[in-house]
Amino acid sequence: MTTFFKKYGIALVLTTVCCSCGGFLDEDPKGFLKEEQAYATRDALFRNAVLTLYSHIGGYNDSEGLQGTGRGIYDLNTFTTDEAIMPTRGGDWYDGGFWQGLFLHRWGVSNEAIQNTWEYLYGSILLCNKSLEEIRSFQERHPDSDIIAFEAEVRALRALFYYYAMDLFGRIPLLEKSDNKASDMVQAERSELFWFLVRELQQTAPLLSEERSNRPGAYYGRMTRSVAWFVLAKLALNAEVYTDDHWTDGIRPAGKDIKFTIDGAVYNAWEATLHYCNLIRQAGFELEKDYTANFAVFNESSVENIFVIPMDKNLYTNQYIYLFRSRNYSHAAAYGLGGENGSSATIEVLETFGYETDDQDNRFDDCYFAGAVQDLSGNPVYLDDKQTPLVYEAWKVDLDVSGKPYEKTAGARMKKYEVDTQAYKDGKLFDNDIVLFRYADVLLMMSEAKVRNGASGDEELNAVRSRVGESTRTATLTNILAERQLELAWEGWRRQDLIRFGLFTRAYHARPQLPGEASGYTTVFPIPATLVKTYGLKQNWGY
Amino acid sequence: MKTLFCCASMALSLFQLQAQDTLKHVLRPDSIIQIGYAKGSLSNLSGAVEQITEEQMNRTQIINPLEAIQGRVAGLTIRKSNNGTAALESVRLRGTTSLTSGNDPLIIVDGVIGDLTMLSSIYPTDIESFTILKDASETAQYGSRGASGVIHIVTKKGMAGQTRVNYSGSFGISQTYKYLDMLDGDEFRKVASDRGLSIMDLGENTNFQKAIGQTGWQQNHNVAFYGGGEQSSYRVSLGLLDRQGVIRNEYSKLFTSNMNLSQKMLDGLIDCELGMFGSVKKERTIVDEQKTFYSAATFNPTFPDHKNSATGAWDQVSTASQITHPLAWMDVDNRGLTSFFSTHGKLTFHLPADLKLILFGSYTYSADGNDQYQPTTVWAKGQAYRGSTRSESLLGNLMLTYNKRFGAHFIDLLVLGEMARDTHEGFFTTVTNFTTNETGYHNLQAGALRPWEGTGSFFENPSQTSFLARANYSYKDRYVLTANARADASSKFGLNHKWGFFPSVSAAWNITEERFMRNLPYIDNLKFRVGYGLAGNQDGIDSYTTLALMKASSVVPAGNTPVVTFEQLRNINPDLKWEVKRTFNTGLDLALWNNRILLSANYYYSRTNDMLYYYDVSVPPFPYSTLLANLGSMENYGTEIAVGITPIQTRDMELNVNANITFQQNRLLSLSGMYHGELVSASEYTSMAGLNGAGFHGGYNNIVYQIVGQPLGVFYLPHCTGLVSDGKGGYIYEIADLNGGGVNLEDGEDRYVAGQAVPKVVLGSNISFRYKQWDLSLQINGAFGHKIYNGTYLSYMNMASFPDYNVLDAAPQKNIKDQTATDYWLENGNYVHFDYLTLGWTMPRKKETSLLKGLRLALTVNNLGTITAYSGLTPMINSSQAGPTLGVDDKRTYPLYRNYVLSLSINL
Repeated sequence: MTTFFKKYGIALVLTTVCCSCGGFLDEDPKGFLKEEQAYATRDALFRNAVLTLYSHIGGYNDSEGLQGTGRGIYDLNTFTTDEAIMPTRGGDWYDGGFWQGLFLHRWGVSNEAIQNTWEYLYGSILLCNKSLEEIRSFQERHPDSDIIAFEAEVRALRALFYYYAMDLFGRIPLLEKSDNKASDMVQAERSELFWFLVRELQQTAPLLSEERSNRPGAYYGRMTRSVAWFVLAKLALNAEVYTDDHWTDGIRPAGKDIKFTIDGAVYNAWEATLHYCNLIRQAGFELEKDYTANFAVFNESSVENIFVIPMDKNLYTNQYIYLFRSRNYSHAAAYGLGGENGSSATIEVLETFGYETDDQDNRFDDCYFAGAVQDLSGNPVYLDDKQTPLVYEAWKVDLDVSGKPYEKTAGARMKKYEVDTQAYKDGKLFDNDIVLFRYADVLLMMSEAKVRNGASGDEELNAVRSRVGESTRTATLTNILAERQLELAWEGWRRQDLIRFGLFTRAYHARPQLPGEASGYTTVFPIPATLVKTYGLKQNWGY
Repeated sequence: MKTLFCCASMALSLFQLQAQDTLKHVLRPDSIIQIGYAKGSLSNLSGAVEQITEEQMNRTQIINPLEAIQGRVAGLTIRKSNNGTAALESVRLRGTTSLTSGNDPLIIVDGVIGDLTMLSSIYPTDIESFTILKDASETAQYGSRGASGVIHIVTKKGMAGQTRVNYSGSFGISQTYKYLDMLDGDEFRKVASDRGLSIMDLGENTNFQKAIGQTGWQQNHNVAFYGGGEQSSYRVSLGLLDRQGVIRNEYSKLFTSNMNLSQKMLDGLIDCELGMFGSVKKERTIVDEQKTFYSAATFNPTFPDHKNSATGAWDQVSTASQITHPLAWMDVDNRGLTSFFSTHGKLTFHLPADLKLILFGSYTYSADGNDQYQPTTVWAKGQAYRGSTRSESLLGNLMLTYNKRFGAHFIDLLVLGEMARDTHEGFFTTVTNFTTNETGYHNLQAGALRPWEGTGSFFENPSQTSFLARANYSYKDRYVLTANARADASSKFGLNHKWGFFPSVSAAWNITEERFMRNLPYIDNLKFRVGYGLAGNQDGIDSYTTLALMKASSVVPAGNTPVVTFEQLRNINPDLKWEVKRTFNTGLDLALWNNRILLSANYYYSRTNDMLYYYDVSVPPFPYSTLLANLGSMENYGTEIAVGITPIQTRDMELNVNANITFQQNRLLSLSGMYHGELVSASEYTSMAGLNGAGFHGGYNNIVYQIVGQPLGVFYLPHCTGLVSDGKGGYIYEIADLNGGGVNLEDGEDRYVAGQAVPKVVLGSNISFRYKQWDLSLQINGAFGHKIYNGTYLSYMNMASFPDYNVLDAAPQKNIKDQTATDYWLENGNYVHFDYLTLGWTMPRKKETSLLKGLRLALTVNNLGTITAYSGLTPMINSSQAGPTLGVDDKRTYPLYRNYVLSLSINL
């Protein structure tokens, strides 16, 4: 008996030991792909190295995506300017001083939203790098495969992300690998980045598709040739800013002295801008007859939109919260949607649009709700008491309207996009594609480049104006900047425009200039403090 | 006689004891107790181990087994959640020692290894004893699993003798006794009209805090049958814990069953034990406590407590977007069904030469379902959610023991091999856009849309292998030495880091056994203990984190078809390894004057290195902003003192005072370390808990932080020098410019460490008094040395949010129009809480008949009151669990309620 148990026991112990050696402790994940599987075939490579990057163009969480979400690139480009304001309304929208901080340019070096935006951009850039490595490795393994377009598309996308990062943060690390060491964390001068991006886009554009990116089809929402040209035009138009490595010294390079080499020819910055704009024009883009068609629920047919975030409430998770957070609660409820009663037009916007004057711009009613509003059947919208009509008091807008009779109604609100009554998640998931780049902007860029290069930009400016039935104006820089505000309201360009025009740091209604701000230090955001501390990155001047 | 829930073996022995012995809990030095895998006598014990047997357990109405020992064990912090689920929010033994990984102690029921959820399948009165292993020299037996301490529960077994039946039951009601003092409808109207603010006045005067409430009640029943003969014994019990909460719709029903069988076989060569326990819990709970109580407190009190008869819907205040009609919120249907089943078998072979071979195996299965429906009155288009998870756990071990006394020498040896594999899997789905609320979550097809991210499923099956060798040696019962060597391997770690080795050693000196002590007869027991050991930890991390895996990440258009793409979604760390905690423990046990004074003191110091944690890392160079890694370190130290005094002890009367006091401190030593040959540092200030609600999104609303060099969870806040006029008749918080250069609320600027969230001192005490058949027991708990951030008052004192949100009574007069988070609302968290008072009557022994062997009746009132300077509802918020609610009272506290419970126990 005893020996039996001893043997039995020893056998059991041995079994135990053997099991532990024989894979018992190995992990066998289900529900995941192994990395090698994810890039094994051309199709898999296309999905997981190329297509997946497009899920980073739109966003679901705060600070993610180029547009559509809050506290990200769009807000940093919009609520820091004279275009939009998020008034504190009693218990609402104080949010620990965040919105006031943006408007007053007092955002600090540890601002979570700024840091998250930085992380979103660099996360996307490193993902592009990873995709490039996988594509190149696939190319090595399958030398006969024709995937050169994949590489070009990813490089161009990376340039797009870098373009936003450079625009916001100035002097940042230029990383071209996915696996980086602390020693790689070296900042490039802004001009270095700028020329890197110009090169990348110039090299990749010819390899990109000529299809239209805003149309459903194989290239829907993707980086196509005209999208790359648009970014090149923006780079060239802002070249004076981007090639300025010392933006607080008061000296800026002149656009006429900044030389681009395009197909062997040399152009100055304004000529280069025109060159790329002309390429887009030649590709067949034109103004929609109806301004609002670009923002319709079904805007895929637009002949004007160049680059959009495809939206489909049933398929994609990308959100568009800007209408939701702007509309008054009762107003949104009248549409069967939700609202958070926040973002409003500034006094400057009202002035530029000539609100309530005889010359009120025709686009005001396309872009803003002001005064009394109606539901979709044309009936007045009432407040909770079902008696008081909702009237937006546009001129009462201010940084803090708490406790005022117009606390909940001050400010003209965002309209712009057609109401998708079928939208869900309070209207944040709708079918209107989010417009990132469109042809009207191209025309205004041309007008501006011409004027800056000493020519007349009247034709392009007035093409934009006449489309909405506005009288002609002379294309002066002042008029062009005003036109950009009128035409491109709520489209996320205001900060860049003001910086280019040297007006970003000026004082305006409810926003005094910060001490020392005249140097222009607030024209870039601070490098997140943790990176300065951990990796010794140089903080941007003035912070 | 003093047992409340008297039954089974303990009960019998207790009923046989002399009355004067029963009130205090002296374990005789030769009592045999189970210490982890090993069995030993108290005198041979060299580590910090506490055993709580039935008569020391709490006498209040107990829902979760651990409530039975709340306040009874020094160093054990139990935080009950208030809701009907009776879930424990957190259990900490000697504080938080790890940032992510399992800080809850290991729970073992009759050898079956589990976690806190397993506890709820045990009916409290089925428990015979709790053994709490605190220091590494004893928890080392469990290696990695025991890093946060071990609570070993032994359920009652059958015993030789005729078949006996025990019934214990109770019935109680719960009544709310304290609400927040908000403006009532009339005051609300008056304040609004005084200030010329227009309000929606529907003419009512509703206290919504009351309106969402109900009278709670509970009934508990447990029946146990037990008996046996020379060769076998059995015990079977059935239980029901039925509870209706103090908030509408809140209930939980728990059915439990526990069976234990033992059989001797082959002339005593083999002992066979079989056990099974299972439970089914059905509950309906509040889906979002903060939203519920925030709405109840601040919703317009002029609104009615019924639906609008014209529209058939709840009237809403659309301008108060962060809250909803509190009664509409009650329409949210949120139910859970948890079933749990565990079975285990143990074969003990009594081999020759004092060898024992023990085979143990257990299998546990649990299934958890959650169903939720948010009607269109609450959620714009209605939303249903259903999810279910299944877990299986298989564990087997083989153990060989040897113990022998050679004259003055006693030796006890144990070797063990163990394997365990768990499987966790589940799925969930979310459906929206309902056209009718009639079908709720019962028909998901009634909803039109299934958002892509609303559906998912998962699977993981981690495994673990362990070996243990243990030796316990004592000489003349005077000198005791114990050594453990345990090796653990986990599938979760990187290829070359799976194994960890965790040895420990401890020694004890039974001074009373020395000759020179014979001159001191009044000292019954004096023992000095010291120990040191290592423990590993891995509980808090997921499987597969060391592998480069791709996860479905999003849907993107590809041509005209949407496709799902895969991405890594996290930083991968192939070098992940064990987190290691080193603990030193020393202690003294003293018993005087025939055990009328008992004293036990322990000092411990532990240091956790290679802390597993999702560190915030910089992007770039990392592609994602968190990295699971072994980087930082943390220390914990403390002193635990337990005192038991019996000042009166006569035949008819006895008074016992037991108290335990714990002084604990914790410090985060580092959050940086080497990763891939490079120094990685988490950010200097990492926020843990902040504020929510209207006007609190983002910005400077972080309250509790983890900061290196500070205790885990400190209040890092701007300093308010007082209220100043805002120039418009209101007041704002004036903030001190602490570092010059203007006020800046960012981290690292005008903020300072203003206190810690976790108590420095924790007190538990029990006073019990018996006169003849009557007894009285009072439990008092307390905590000191910590602070609480009163985010509730910061929000509800802000007149700027009025009239969209109702405010506290005191708010109009103070007229603060600011909600900047400063130290103004940081308050002292000290409290003394009178947990319960029980009056009991036990049938005298002489009245016992052959039919009725025992009877006890008791009346308990709990939550008698709290002594505190804290201005909020209660200072008993989360002050122990590191997480997003630590130290912050933010609009989510339940109203306070009292239970009145009548209980009965009969032995037949």
